[in-house]
Amino acid sequence: MTRAGTALALAVALGTTASAQATGPMAKAAHRLSAKDEAKLHYVRASGSSLIDEGKASGTIPGTVRIDFTYTGSPNVGAQFTIYGSSGSLRVHASGKLSSPTNPKPSFKGNLSIVGGSGRYAHAHGSGTLYGVFYRRSYGLVVQVQGTVYY
Amino acid sequence: MPALGRTASCALGGLLVIAAFAVGVSHAAGAAPTSSVAVRSSLLGPPTQLSAAFLPERLGAPTSIYFTVDIDPPALSVPPPLSAIDVSYPSGLGFATSGLGLASCDPARLQGGGAGACPENSKMGAGTAVVQVVFGTEVVPEPVSLGLFAGPSPDGYLHLLILASGKAPVEARIVMTGVLLPGHLHITVPPVPGLPGAPDVALTQIRATLGGALTYYERVRGKLIAYRPRGIGLPARCPRGGWRLAASLAFSDGGVSHARDVIACPAHRRPGK
Repeated sequence: MTRAGTALALAVALGTTASAQATGPMAKAAHRLSAKDEAKLHYVRASGSSLIDEGKASGTIPGTVRIDFTYTGSPNVGAQFTIYGSSGSLRVHASGKLSSPTNPKPSFKGNLSIVGGSGRYAHAHGSGTLYGVFYRRSYGLVVQVQGTVYY
Repeated sequence: MPALGRTASCALGGLLVIAAFAVGVSHAAGAAPTSSVAVRSSLLGPPTQLSAAFLPERLGAPTSIYFTVDIDPPALSVPPPLSAIDVSYPSGLGFATSGLGLASCDPARLQGGGAGACPENSKMGAGTAVVQVVFGTEVVPEPVSLGLFAGPSPDGYLHLLILASGKAPVEARIVMTGVLLPGHLHITVPPVPGLPGAPDVALTQIRATLGGALTYYERVRGKLIAYRPRGIGLPARCPRGGWRLAASLAFSDGGVSHARDVIACPAHRRPGK
């Protein structure tokens, strides 16, 4: 199989559309992937207003997720997380707004940016939307991400 | 009584100063006032001391915050009634991730029915206070119990309700409201009427703990199980010079008092020691 054929086969396997981008600043981004993943994360440790959670992700890029979730009490929350898939990892930065802070399970929604990764996603970039629920009793999180990855 | 951090109180005189008192905003002296900045003349308030401590103080672990505010008016005088307290704290403290305040208490129910009217899972702390009540020609100190509760949030910020209950010589129950802004806790204190014909009641001391020995309840497989909420998360690293806290107290006569405290970093322990 040719190199292009291999890339196409991988793209099909991932549900992606492969397209050549020969010019421009993002010349390395030859693949576009519409991703939708969900992860149920459990508490690992905390430092002040930051929580570290981990868990399994299922969806377009299945794997393990590790998240650093920051909630200071203002409606704005921040998250930096990494999805470790079989072909590499994706690093994501996200920020959003949390509603109903005295609810035991407040939800949040925001935007995310894909800021890099490793392996197949070494030069990944992209953007999307983050949805989540913060379990204030257990410090657990359920996170759903939807976005487009260029790699 | 826990060991408190090093106290740095302000020695305040009766000087007339230009001061800005706004939530989380202080303007440097000499800065040109603009039409959008509220700068007003105000008197310095009475000398005030702030002391605070983390209980326990273990980096990266949950804790509770014990704090005291003492307002020390000149001898034989009563300080003016308090109208607001603004406490600034290091922004890395995990108030919002403390697991405290999993339910909210309705302020009207708290005012009408006292602490028992609030869900157990809305309790966030407790404390005591002392107020001065003018009783004829005498000034009588009155002990007050404090209860801290999570309040409803209309704006996405964490809101706090502080119930203050006193029995004698003035039987009163007031609810103060607070909001947790980034790095600040701002508390509004309503006027507390004294005896007929006498001035409003004046606060001179607060001792309170946010967090601590609270009992919450959760339903597990249909059963109500009691548990202790984790508490305020202390960062894994102590800032250089310790955790700096400050309080600004606004009084009904326009006076403002400031006090600061530093909670020292815990001593390093060598492994195996």
